[in-house]
Amino acid sequence: MTAAVTAPIIRLEAVSKTYDLPRAGARGAADRALNVVYDLSLDVQPREFVSIVGPSGCGKTTALFMLAGLREASAGRIEVCGRPPREAVRAGLSSVIFQQPVLFEWLTAEENVLLPLRMRDARWWAWPARRGRYLAAARRALETVELSGFEHYYPDALSGGMQQRVAIARALTLDPQVLLMDEPFGALDEITRDRMNLELIRLAEARGLTIVFVTHSIEEAVFLSDRVVVMSRGPSPATGSSVVRVLDVGLPHPRQLALKEEPAFFQKVREGREALRQTQGVA
Amino acid sequence: MSADAAPARPAARPGPRVRLPVAELRSWAIFGALAVAAWEAASRLYGQPYLLPAPSAIAAEFREHWPLVLGYAAITSQEIVVGFLAGALAALLCAMVFLRLPRLVEDFLYRVIVTLNSTPFVALASLAVVWFGLGLQSKIVIAGMYTFFAVLYTTHKEFISVEVIREQLMDIYNATWWQRIFLLKIPSALPIIFVSLKGGVMAAVNGAIVGELFGAFEGLGYMILDSRYVGNTVRVFLAAVFCTAIGWLLLGAVTLAERLLLPWHVSMAGRR
Repeated sequence: MTAAVTAPIIRLEAVSKTYDLPRAGARGAADRALNVVYDLSLDVQPREFVSIVGPSGCGKTTALFMLAGLREASAGRIEVCGRPPREAVRAGLSSVIFQQPVLFEWLTAEENVLLPLRMRDARWWAWPARRGRYLAAARRALETVELSGFEHYYPDALSGGMQQRVAIARALTLDPQVLLMDEPFGALDEITRDRMNLELIRLAEARGLTIVFVTHSIEEAVFLSDRVVVMSRGPSPATGSSVVRVLDVGLPHPRQLALKEEPAFFQKVREGREALRQTQGVA
Repeated sequence: MSADAAPARPAARPGPRVRLPVAELRSWAIFGALAVAAWEAASRLYGQPYLLPAPSAIAAEFREHWPLVLGYAAITSQEIVVGFLAGALAALLCAMVFLRLPRLVEDFLYRVIVTLNSTPFVALASLAVVWFGLGLQSKIVIAGMYTFFAVLYTTHKEFISVEVIREQLMDIYNATWWQRIFLLKIPSALPIIFVSLKGGVMAAVNGAIVGELFGAFEGLGYMILDSRYVGNTVRVFLAAVFCTAIGWLLLGAVTLAERLLLPWHVSMAGRR
Protein backbone atom coordinates (compact mmCIF):
# COMPACT_ATOMS: atom_id res chain seq x y z
CA MET A 1 0.00 0.00 0.00
CA THR A 2 2.75 2.42 0.88
CA ALA A 3 4.09 2.70 -2.60
CA ALA A 4 6.64 5.48 -2.37
CA VAL A 5 6.78 5.94 -6.13
CA THR A 6 3.55 7.92 -6.45
CA ALA A 7 3.26 11.54 -5.43
CA PRO A 8 1.80 11.99 -1.96
CA ILE A 9 -1.81 13.15 -1.87
CA ILE A 10 -1.33 14.88 1.48
CA ARG A 11 1.81 16.76 2.48
CA LEU A 12 2.57 18.33 5.80
CA GLU A 13 5.88 20.14 5.92
CA ALA A 14 7.22 21.35 9.27
CA VAL A 15 3.74 22.36 10.40
CA SER A 16 3.30 24.06 13.76
CA LYS A 17 0.26 25.46 15.47
CA THR A 18 0.13 28.05 18.21
CA TYR A 19 -3.13 29.13 19.75
CA ASP A 20 -3.43 32.61 21.18
CA LEU A 21 -5.44 32.16 24.31
CA PRO A 22 -7.02 35.25 25.80
CA ARG A 23 -6.75 34.97 29.56
CA ALA A 24 -9.89 35.51 31.60
CA GLY A 25 -10.05 39.14 32.63
CA ALA A 26 -7.61 40.24 29.95
CA ARG A 27 -9.05 42.55 27.34
CA GLY A 28 -9.24 41.25 23.82
CA ALA A 29 -5.68 40.70 22.75
CA ALA A 30 -3.93 37.40 23.13
CA ASP A 31 -2.27 36.99 26.44
CA ARG A 32 -0.67 33.62 26.38
CA ALA A 33 0.43 31.55 23.46
CA LEU A 34 -0.20 27.81 23.58
CA ASN A 35 1.78 25.56 21.29
CA VAL A 36 -0.02 22.40 20.38
CA VAL A 37 1.65 21.06 17.25
CA TYR A 38 5.41 21.12 16.77
CA ASP A 39 7.22 20.62 13.52
CA LEU A 40 4.88 18.03 12.06
CA SER A 41 5.96 16.56 8.74
CA LEU A 42 4.07 13.77 7.07
CA ASP A 43 3.43 12.54 3.54
CA VAL A 44 0.39 10.40 2.88
CA GLN A 45 0.20 8.35 -0.29
CA PRO A 46 -2.97 7.92 -2.32
CA ARG A 47 -5.17 5.10 -0.97
CA GLU A 48 -3.17 4.99 2.22
CA PHE A 49 -4.82 4.70 5.63
CA VAL A 50 -2.95 6.72 8.25
CA SER A 51 -4.00 6.99 11.87
CA ILE A 52 -2.90 9.61 14.36
CA VAL A 53 -2.84 8.57 18.01
CA GLY A 54 -1.68 10.36 21.11
CA PRO A 55 -2.74 11.48 24.56
CA SER A 56 -5.43 14.11 25.04
CA GLY A 57 -4.20 17.58 24.21
CA CYS A 58 -1.37 16.40 21.94
CA GLY A 59 -2.85 18.30 19.01
CA LYS A 60 -4.14 15.40 16.93
CA THR A 61 -7.50 17.01 16.41
CA THR A 62 -5.79 20.31 15.67
CA ALA A 63 -3.64 18.56 13.06
CA LEU A 64 -6.76 17.11 11.45
CA PHE A 65 -8.55 20.44 11.55
CA MET A 66 -5.58 22.03 9.80
CA LEU A 67 -5.81 19.35 7.10
CA ALA A 68 -9.49 20.21 6.78
CA GLY A 69 -8.76 23.91 6.44
CA LEU A 70 -10.72 24.66 9.60
CA ARG A 71 -7.58 25.92 11.36
CA GLU A 72 -4.75 27.89 9.86
CA ALA A 73 -1.24 26.51 10.41
CA SER A 74 1.00 28.96 12.29
CA ALA A 75 4.06 27.78 10.41
CA GLY A 76 4.87 25.27 7.71
CA ARG A 77 3.06 24.16 4.60
CA ILE A 78 0.09 21.88 4.05
CA GLU A 79 -1.18 20.51 0.79
CA VAL A 80 -4.15 18.27 0.19
CA CYS A 81 -4.63 16.97 -3.36
CA GLY A 82 -2.06 19.55 -4.46
CA ARG A 83 -4.04 22.46 -3.04
CA PRO A 84 -4.21 24.41 0.18
CA PRO A 85 -6.44 22.43 2.57
CA ARG A 86 -9.26 24.97 2.58
CA GLU A 87 -9.54 24.88 -1.18
CA ALA A 88 -9.40 21.11 -1.27
CA VAL A 89 -12.24 20.73 1.19
CA ARG A 90 -14.34 23.37 -0.54
CA ALA A 91 -13.78 21.72 -3.88
CA GLY A 92 -15.06 18.47 -2.38
CA LEU A 93 -11.70 16.73 -2.83
CA SER A 94 -11.47 16.09 0.88
CA SER A 95 -14.21 15.58 3.40
CA VAL A 96 -14.38 15.72 7.19
CA ILE A 97 -16.11 13.51 9.72
CA PHE A 98 -16.25 14.84 13.24
CA GLN A 99 -16.46 13.18 16.62
CA GLN A 100 -20.17 13.93 16.64
CA PRO A 101 -22.29 13.32 13.58
CA VAL A 102 -23.26 17.04 13.43
CA LEU A 103 -26.47 16.31 11.57
CA PHE A 104 -29.16 18.93 11.22
CA GLU A 105 -32.02 17.56 13.29
CA TRP A 106 -34.64 19.41 11.23
CA LEU A 107 -33.64 17.51 8.11
CA THR A 108 -34.29 13.85 7.36
CA ALA A 109 -31.35 11.50 6.82
CA GLU A 110 -31.73 11.96 3.08
CA GLU A 111 -31.87 15.76 3.26
CA ASN A 112 -28.80 15.77 5.49
CA VAL A 113 -26.94 13.75 2.91
CA LEU A 114 -28.12 16.10 0.17
CA LEU A 115 -26.89 19.14 2.07
CA PRO A 116 -23.37 19.37 0.56
CA LEU A 117 -24.85 19.15 -2.94
CA ARG A 118 -27.41 21.76 -2.08
CA MET A 119 -24.70 24.21 -1.00
CA ARG A 120 -22.91 23.94 -4.31
CA ASP A 121 -25.25 26.34 -5.97
CA ALA A 122 -26.30 29.52 -4.22
CA ARG A 123 -29.47 29.89 -6.31
CA TRP A 124 -32.09 28.56 -3.94
CA TRP A 125 -34.81 28.66 -6.56
CA ALA A 126 -32.86 26.22 -8.68
CA TRP A 127 -32.73 23.64 -5.89
CA PRO A 128 -36.06 21.88 -6.43
CA ALA A 129 -35.02 21.13 -9.99
CA ARG A 130 -31.52 20.02 -9.04
CA ARG A 131 -32.73 17.97 -6.08
CA GLY A 132 -34.24 15.29 -8.26
CA ARG A 133 -30.99 14.96 -10.13
CA TYR A 134 -28.98 14.51 -6.93
CA LEU A 135 -31.42 12.28 -5.12
CA ALA A 136 -30.05 9.12 -6.70
CA ALA A 137 -26.54 10.00 -5.49
CA ALA A 138 -27.81 10.59 -1.96
CA ARG A 139 -29.70 7.29 -1.96
CA ARG A 140 -26.58 5.52 -3.19
CA ALA A 141 -24.49 7.09 -0.44
CA LEU A 142 -27.02 5.95 2.16
CA GLU A 143 -26.96 2.50 0.61
CA THR A 144 -23.17 2.41 0.92
CA VAL A 145 -23.48 2.90 4.65
CA GLU A 146 -26.31 0.35 4.80
CA LEU A 147 -29.04 2.81 5.63
CA SER A 148 -31.46 2.07 2.82
CA GLY A 149 -34.98 2.39 4.13
CA PHE A 150 -34.05 5.07 6.63
CA GLU A 151 -34.02 7.96 4.15
CA HIS A 152 -37.00 9.68 5.70
CA TYR A 153 -36.04 9.35 9.35
CA TYR A 154 -35.04 12.32 11.39
CA PRO A 155 -31.62 12.01 13.09
CA ASP A 156 -33.36 12.04 16.44
CA ALA A 157 -34.95 8.70 15.68
CA LEU A 158 -31.67 7.01 14.74
CA SER A 159 -29.13 5.35 17.04
CA GLY A 160 -25.69 6.89 17.55
CA GLY A 161 -24.06 4.47 15.13
CA MET A 162 -26.67 5.15 12.49
CA GLN A 163 -26.28 8.89 12.90
CA GLN A 164 -22.55 8.57 12.31
CA ARG A 165 -23.28 6.51 9.21
CA VAL A 166 -25.46 9.30 7.91
CA ALA A 167 -22.55 11.67 8.52
CA ILE A 168 -20.28 9.35 6.54
CA ALA A 169 -22.81 9.17 3.72
CA ARG A 170 -22.96 12.97 3.73
CA ALA A 171 -19.17 13.13 3.52
CA LEU A 172 -19.25 10.77 0.53
CA THR A 173 -21.79 12.66 -1.56
CA LEU A 174 -19.22 14.94 -3.13
CA ASP A 175 -17.13 11.88 -3.99
CA PRO A 176 -13.96 12.97 -2.16
CA GLN A 177 -10.53 11.41 -2.56
CA VAL A 178 -9.54 12.09 1.02
CA LEU A 179 -11.51 11.39 4.18
CA LEU A 180 -10.42 13.19 7.35
CA MET A 181 -11.89 11.53 10.42
CA ASP A 182 -11.70 12.85 13.96
CA GLU A 183 -12.43 10.02 16.42
CA PRO A 184 -15.57 9.22 14.46
CA PHE A 185 -16.45 6.10 16.45
CA GLY A 186 -15.31 7.30 19.86
CA ALA A 187 -18.83 7.46 21.23
CA LEU A 188 -19.86 3.98 20.08
CA ASP A 189 -19.84 0.68 21.93
CA GLU A 190 -17.16 -1.84 21.02
CA ILE A 191 -19.29 -4.17 18.92
CA THR A 192 -20.71 -1.31 16.87
CA ARG A 193 -17.28 0.19 16.55
CA ASP A 194 -15.87 -3.07 15.17
CA ARG A 195 -18.63 -3.21 12.61
CA MET A 196 -18.08 0.40 11.61
CA ASN A 197 -14.34 -0.23 11.31
CA LEU A 198 -14.89 -3.14 8.95
CA GLU A 199 -17.32 -1.13 6.89
CA LEU A 200 -14.89 1.76 6.73
CA ILE A 201 -12.15 -0.53 5.43
CA ARG A 202 -14.48 -1.97 2.82
CA LEU A 203 -15.54 1.52 1.82
CA ALA A 204 -11.98 2.83 1.61
CA GLU A 205 -10.97 -0.03 -0.65
CA ALA A 206 -14.04 0.12 -2.83
CA ARG A 207 -13.73 3.83 -3.38
CA GLY A 208 -9.96 4.10 -3.35
CA LEU A 209 -10.08 6.58 -0.48
CA THR A 210 -7.13 8.04 1.33
CA ILE A 211 -7.93 8.29 5.02
CA VAL A 212 -6.43 10.19 7.90
CA PHE A 213 -8.00 8.88 11.08
CA VAL A 214 -7.58 10.39 14.52
CA THR A 215 -8.23 8.10 17.47
CA HIS A 216 -7.01 7.56 21.00
CA SER A 217 -7.27 3.80 20.68
CA ILE A 218 -3.97 2.29 19.59
CA GLU A 219 -5.75 -0.99 18.84
CA GLU A 220 -8.21 0.64 16.51
CA ALA A 221 -5.37 2.50 14.82
CA VAL A 222 -3.32 -0.64 14.24
CA PHE A 223 -6.31 -2.60 13.01
CA LEU A 224 -7.31 0.02 10.45
CA SER A 225 -4.10 1.57 9.26
CA ASP A 226 -1.12 1.17 7.00
CA ARG A 227 0.79 3.57 9.20
CA VAL A 228 0.21 4.91 12.71
CA VAL A 229 1.56 8.31 13.69
CA VAL A 230 2.16 8.58 17.44
CA MET A 231 2.06 12.14 18.73
CA SER A 232 3.07 13.52 22.11
CA ARG A 233 2.10 16.55 24.08
CA GLY A 234 4.88 19.00 23.46
CA PRO A 235 7.93 18.32 21.30
CA SER A 236 9.68 15.00 21.66
CA PRO A 237 13.18 15.57 23.10
CA ALA A 238 14.81 13.48 20.38
CA THR A 239 13.39 15.22 17.34
CA GLY A 240 11.78 18.44 18.53
CA SER A 241 8.67 17.34 16.71
CA SER A 242 5.22 16.38 17.97
CA VAL A 243 5.67 13.06 16.23
CA VAL A 244 7.27 10.48 18.49
CA ARG A 245 7.16 7.67 16.03
CA VAL A 246 5.62 6.57 12.76
CA LEU A 247 4.73 2.92 12.97
CA ASP A 248 4.57 0.83 9.80
CA VAL A 249 1.82 -1.67 10.47
CA GLY A 250 2.46 -4.01 7.54
CA LEU A 251 -0.37 -6.43 8.40
CA PRO A 252 -2.13 -8.20 5.54
CA HIS A 253 -5.09 -6.72 3.69
CA PRO A 254 -8.03 -6.89 3.69
CA ARG A 255 -8.27 -6.65 7.44
CA GLN A 256 -10.61 -9.07 9.19
CA LEU A 257 -11.71 -9.18 12.80
CA ALA A 258 -9.80 -12.45 13.26
CA LEU A 259 -6.63 -10.42 12.88
CA LYS A 260 -7.23 -9.05 16.35
CA GLU A 261 -6.44 -12.50 17.80
CA GLU A 262 -3.09 -12.87 16.06
CA PRO A 263 0.36 -12.40 17.60
CA ALA A 264 1.49 -10.09 14.78
CA PHE A 265 -1.35 -7.76 15.69
CA PHE A 266 -0.51 -7.86 19.40
CA GLN A 267 3.12 -7.15 18.56
CA LYS A 268 2.18 -4.01 16.63
CA VAL A 269 -0.19 -2.84 19.33
CA ARG A 270 2.58 -3.33 21.89
CA GLU A 271 4.99 -1.29 19.77
CA GLY A 272 2.47 1.43 19.47
CA ARG A 273 1.75 1.37 23.16
CA GLU A 274 5.44 1.65 23.96
CA ALA A 275 5.78 4.66 21.70
CA LEU A 276 2.72 6.14 23.36
CA ARG A 277 4.24 5.51 26.78
CA GLN A 278 7.29 7.52 25.76
CA THR A 279 5.01 10.49 25.29
CA GLN A 280 3.99 10.43 28.92
CA GLY A 281 7.18 11.86 30.39
CA VAL A 282 7.31 14.70 27.91
CA ALA A 283 4.58 17.15 28.68
CA MET B 1 -29.28 -4.15 9.29
CA SER B 2 -28.67 -5.76 12.64
CA ALA B 3 -27.67 -5.00 16.21
CA ASP B 4 -27.39 -1.23 16.36
CA ALA B 5 -29.79 -0.77 13.52
CA ALA B 6 -32.93 -0.75 15.62
CA PRO B 7 -34.32 2.78 15.61
CA ALA B 8 -34.34 4.37 19.03
CA ARG B 9 -37.85 5.61 18.46
CA PRO B 10 -40.15 3.91 16.02
CA ALA B 11 -41.79 5.44 13.01
CA ALA B 12 -40.60 9.01 13.11
CA ARG B 13 -41.47 9.71 9.54
CA PRO B 14 -41.62 13.24 8.22
CA GLY B 15 -44.72 14.94 7.01
CA PRO B 16 -46.38 16.84 9.80
CA ARG B 17 -49.38 15.14 11.25
CA VAL B 18 -51.63 17.28 13.34
CA ARG B 19 -54.09 15.38 15.44
CA LEU B 20 -56.73 17.15 17.43
CA PRO B 21 -55.61 16.94 21.06
CA VAL B 22 -58.92 15.43 22.18
CA ALA B 23 -57.88 14.57 25.72
CA GLU B 24 -56.48 18.04 26.28
CA LEU B 25 -59.59 19.74 24.89
CA ARG B 26 -61.78 17.58 27.08
CA SER B 27 -59.91 18.47 30.25
CA TRP B 28 -60.09 22.15 29.30
CA ALA B 29 -63.84 21.86 28.76
CA ILE B 30 -64.31 20.21 32.14
CA PHE B 31 -62.10 22.77 33.83
CA GLY B 32 -63.93 25.61 32.08
CA ALA B 33 -67.37 24.35 33.01
CA LEU B 34 -66.35 23.97 36.65
CA ALA B 35 -64.81 27.44 36.74
CA VAL B 36 -67.89 29.09 35.20
CA ALA B 37 -70.19 27.25 37.62
CA ALA B 38 -68.07 28.34 40.59
CA TRP B 39 -68.05 31.90 39.31
CA GLU B 40 -71.85 31.89 38.88
CA ALA B 41 -72.33 30.56 42.40
CA ALA B 42 -69.85 33.03 43.91
CA SER B 43 -71.50 35.95 42.16
CA ARG B 44 -74.97 34.98 43.41
CA LEU B 45 -73.76 34.43 46.96
CA TYR B 46 -71.88 37.73 46.95
CA GLY B 47 -74.96 39.52 45.68
CA GLN B 48 -73.25 42.62 44.27
CA PRO B 49 -73.52 42.30 40.47
CA TYR B 50 -71.86 45.68 40.00
CA LEU B 51 -68.59 44.33 41.45
CA LEU B 52 -68.80 40.72 40.36
CA PRO B 53 -71.34 40.10 37.63
CA ALA B 54 -72.39 36.49 37.03
CA PRO B 55 -71.47 34.70 33.79
CA SER B 56 -75.16 34.46 33.01
CA ALA B 57 -75.40 38.26 33.17
CA ILE B 58 -72.41 38.60 30.87
CA ALA B 59 -73.97 36.14 28.44
CA ALA B 60 -77.24 38.11 28.56
CA GLU B 61 -75.33 41.32 27.82
CA PHE B 62 -73.73 39.62 24.82
CA ARG B 63 -77.11 38.37 23.52
CA GLU B 64 -78.42 41.91 23.67
CA HIS B 65 -75.47 43.71 22.07
CA TRP B 66 -73.74 41.04 20.01
CA PRO B 67 -73.43 42.96 16.72
CA LEU B 68 -71.59 45.76 18.47
CA VAL B 69 -69.35 43.45 20.52
CA LEU B 70 -68.45 41.25 17.58
CA GLY B 71 -67.72 44.34 15.49
CA TYR B 72 -65.38 45.65 18.16
CA ALA B 73 -63.76 42.23 18.54
CA ALA B 74 -63.15 42.12 14.78
CA ILE B 75 -61.47 45.53 14.87
CA THR B 76 -59.25 44.62 17.81
CA SER B 77 -58.37 41.25 16.26
CA GLN B 78 -57.34 43.03 13.10
CA GLU B 79 -55.03 45.34 15.04
CA ILE B 80 -53.53 42.42 16.93
CA VAL B 81 -53.00 40.17 13.92
CA VAL B 82 -51.53 42.84 11.65
CA GLY B 83 -49.41 44.25 14.49
CA PHE B 84 -48.19 40.82 15.52
CA LEU B 85 -47.25 39.74 11.99
CA ALA B 86 -45.52 43.03 11.24
CA GLY B 87 -43.71 43.07 14.58
CA ALA B 88 -42.56 39.45 14.30
CA LEU B 89 -41.40 39.91 10.72
CA ALA B 90 -39.58 43.13 11.60
CA ALA B 91 -37.87 41.39 14.52
CA LEU B 92 -36.75 38.51 12.30
CA LEU B 93 -35.41 40.85 9.64
CA CYS B 94 -33.75 42.99 12.27
CA ALA B 95 -32.03 39.95 13.81
CA MET B 96 -30.77 39.01 10.33
CA VAL B 97 -29.56 42.51 9.57
CA PHE B 98 -27.74 42.57 12.90
CA LEU B 99 -25.59 39.69 11.69
CA ARG B 100 -24.56 41.67 8.66
CA LEU B 101 -23.68 44.93 10.38
CA PRO B 102 -20.22 45.99 11.45
CA ARG B 103 -19.65 45.36 15.13
CA LEU B 104 -19.76 49.03 16.06
CA VAL B 105 -23.09 49.72 14.36
CA GLU B 106 -24.58 46.56 15.81
CA ASP B 107 -23.46 47.62 19.27
CA PHE B 108 -24.99 51.05 18.80
CA LEU B 109 -28.32 49.74 17.53
CA TYR B 110 -28.44 47.17 20.26
CA ARG B 111 -28.06 49.91 22.84
CA VAL B 112 -30.84 51.91 21.24
CA ILE B 113 -33.11 48.91 21.41
CA VAL B 114 -32.18 48.11 25.00
CA THR B 115 -32.96 51.72 25.92
CA LEU B 116 -36.31 51.63 24.15
CA ASN B 117 -37.08 48.31 25.75
CA SER B 118 -36.46 49.65 29.24
CA THR B 119 -38.67 52.68 28.60
CA PRO B 120 -42.15 51.87 29.94
CA PHE B 121 -44.19 50.59 27.02
CA VAL B 122 -47.16 52.57 28.20
CA ALA B 123 -45.23 55.80 27.65
CA LEU B 124 -44.27 54.70 24.15
CA ALA B 125 -47.85 53.63 23.48
CA SER B 126 -49.26 57.01 24.43
CA LEU B 127 -46.73 58.61 22.11
CA ALA B 128 -47.76 56.29 19.30
CA VAL B 129 -51.33 57.50 19.65
CA VAL B 130 -50.09 61.08 19.40
CA TRP B 131 -48.01 60.32 16.33
CA PHE B 132 -50.26 57.92 14.45
CA GLY B 133 -53.70 59.16 15.44
CA LEU B 134 -56.77 57.59 16.95
CA GLY B 135 -57.35 55.10 14.14
CA LEU B 136 -56.11 51.57 13.57
CA GLN B 137 -52.56 52.53 12.64
CA SER B 138 -51.50 53.59 16.12
CA LYS B 139 -52.82 50.32 17.64
CA ILE B 140 -51.08 48.27 14.98
CA VAL B 141 -47.87 50.13 15.70
CA ILE B 142 -48.19 49.50 19.43
CA ALA B 143 -49.09 45.82 19.09
CA GLY B 144 -46.23 45.47 16.61
CA MET B 145 -43.82 47.19 18.97
CA TYR B 146 -44.76 44.87 21.84
CA THR B 147 -44.23 41.84 19.61
CA PHE B 148 -41.04 43.19 18.10
CA PHE B 149 -39.28 43.46 21.43
CA ALA B 150 -40.58 40.11 22.62
CA VAL B 151 -39.18 38.36 19.53
CA LEU B 152 -36.04 40.32 18.66
CA TYR B 153 -33.92 39.57 21.71
CA THR B 154 -34.45 35.86 21.60
CA THR B 155 -34.01 35.54 17.87
CA HIS B 156 -30.82 37.57 17.80
CA LYS B 157 -29.42 35.59 20.69
CA GLU B 158 -30.27 32.30 18.98
CA PHE B 159 -28.76 33.43 15.69
CA ILE B 160 -25.42 34.14 17.29
CA SER B 161 -25.35 31.02 19.47
CA VAL B 162 -25.32 28.39 16.74
CA GLU B 163 -22.86 25.62 17.63
CA VAL B 164 -19.37 26.37 16.30
CA ILE B 165 -19.03 22.96 14.71
CA ARG B 166 -22.16 23.54 12.64
CA GLU B 167 -20.73 26.81 11.40
CA GLN B 168 -17.58 24.89 10.53
CA LEU B 169 -19.64 22.44 8.55
CA MET B 170 -21.04 25.39 6.62
CA ASP B 171 -17.45 26.59 6.10
CA ILE B 172 -16.53 23.24 4.65
CA TYR B 173 -19.42 23.39 2.22
CA ASN B 174 -18.49 26.90 1.24
CA ALA B 175 -21.95 28.14 2.21
CA THR B 176 -23.02 31.63 1.27
CA TRP B 177 -24.30 34.06 3.87
CA TRP B 178 -27.89 33.39 2.81
CA GLN B 179 -27.40 29.64 2.95
CA ARG B 180 -26.14 30.00 6.49
CA ILE B 181 -29.23 31.99 7.40
CA PHE B 182 -31.84 29.82 5.75
CA LEU B 183 -30.30 26.38 6.03
CA LEU B 184 -28.71 26.69 9.45
CA LYS B 185 -29.53 29.70 11.58
CA ILE B 186 -33.27 30.00 11.08
CA PRO B 187 -34.08 26.29 11.37
CA SER B 188 -31.91 25.85 14.44
CA ALA B 189 -33.39 28.96 16.07
CA LEU B 190 -36.97 28.12 15.12
CA PRO B 191 -37.95 26.20 18.27
CA ILE B 192 -36.92 29.12 20.45
CA ILE B 193 -38.34 31.67 18.01
CA PHE B 194 -41.68 29.94 18.46
CA VAL B 195 -41.43 30.27 22.22
CA SER B 196 -40.90 34.00 21.77
CA LEU B 197 -43.72 34.19 19.21
CA LYS B 198 -46.11 32.73 21.76
CA GLY B 199 -45.05 35.43 24.18
CA GLY B 200 -45.32 37.89 21.30
CA VAL B 201 -48.96 37.02 20.60
CA MET B 202 -49.90 37.78 24.18
CA ALA B 203 -47.85 40.96 24.08
CA ALA B 204 -49.67 42.01 20.90
CA VAL B 205 -53.06 41.53 22.59
CA ASN B 206 -51.86 43.73 25.44
CA GLY B 207 -50.45 46.28 23.04
CA ALA B 208 -53.66 46.65 21.05
CA ILE B 209 -55.79 47.04 24.20
CA VAL B 210 -53.38 49.54 25.73
CA GLY B 211 -53.44 51.48 22.46
CA GLU B 212 -57.22 51.60 22.48
CA LEU B 213 -57.28 52.72 26.10
CA PHE B 214 -55.15 55.71 25.14
CA GLY B 215 -57.59 56.92 22.56
CA ALA B 216 -59.93 55.23 20.11
CA PHE B 217 -63.49 55.30 18.94
CA GLU B 218 -63.92 51.57 18.56
CA GLY B 219 -62.52 48.22 19.64
CA LEU B 220 -62.59 46.14 22.81
CA GLY B 221 -60.22 48.45 24.67
CA TYR B 222 -62.48 51.38 23.86
CA MET B 223 -65.42 49.32 25.07
CA ILE B 224 -63.67 48.67 28.39
CA LEU B 225 -62.93 52.34 28.91
CA ASP B 226 -66.38 53.53 27.82
CA SER B 227 -68.27 50.95 29.90
CA ARG B 228 -66.23 51.74 32.97
CA TYR B 229 -67.11 55.44 32.70
CA VAL B 230 -70.79 54.66 32.72
CA GLY B 231 -70.37 52.00 35.42
CA ASN B 232 -71.28 49.04 33.20
CA THR B 233 -69.06 46.37 34.81
CA VAL B 234 -70.82 43.59 32.95
CA ARG B 235 -69.63 44.96 29.67
CA VAL B 236 -66.06 45.36 30.97
CA PHE B 237 -66.12 41.67 31.81
CA LEU B 238 -67.56 40.86 28.42
CA ALA B 239 -64.72 42.74 26.70
CA ALA B 240 -62.16 40.98 28.88
CA VAL B 241 -63.64 37.60 27.98
CA PHE B 242 -63.35 38.43 24.28
CA CYS B 243 -59.75 39.64 24.68
CA THR B 244 -58.87 36.35 26.31
CA ALA B 245 -60.65 34.40 23.60
CA ILE B 246 -58.75 36.27 20.87
CA GLY B 247 -55.47 35.62 22.69
CA TRP B 248 -56.24 31.94 22.92
CA LEU B 249 -57.22 31.63 19.29
CA LEU B 250 -54.03 33.31 18.14
CA LEU B 251 -51.94 31.26 20.53
CA GLY B 252 -53.60 28.20 19.05
CA ALA B 253 -52.74 29.37 15.56
CA VAL B 254 -49.09 29.87 16.49
CA THR B 255 -48.99 26.46 18.17
CA LEU B 256 -50.51 24.90 15.08
CA ALA B 257 -47.87 26.56 12.91
CA GLU B 258 -45.21 25.27 15.29
CA ARG B 259 -46.46 21.71 15.01
CA LEU B 260 -46.52 21.95 11.24
CA LEU B 261 -43.05 23.46 10.99
CA LEU B 262 -41.22 21.55 13.70
CA PRO B 263 -42.22 17.92 13.34
CA TRP B 264 -38.63 16.99 14.10
CA HIS B 265 -38.29 18.77 17.40
CA VAL B 266 -37.99 16.93 20.74
CA SER B 267 -40.93 18.82 22.16
CA MET B 268 -43.05 17.14 19.49
CA ALA B 269 -42.02 13.68 20.65
CA GLY B 270 -45.04 11.50 21.15
CA ARG B 271 -47.14 13.78 18.99
CA ARG B 272 -45.84 12.24 15.81
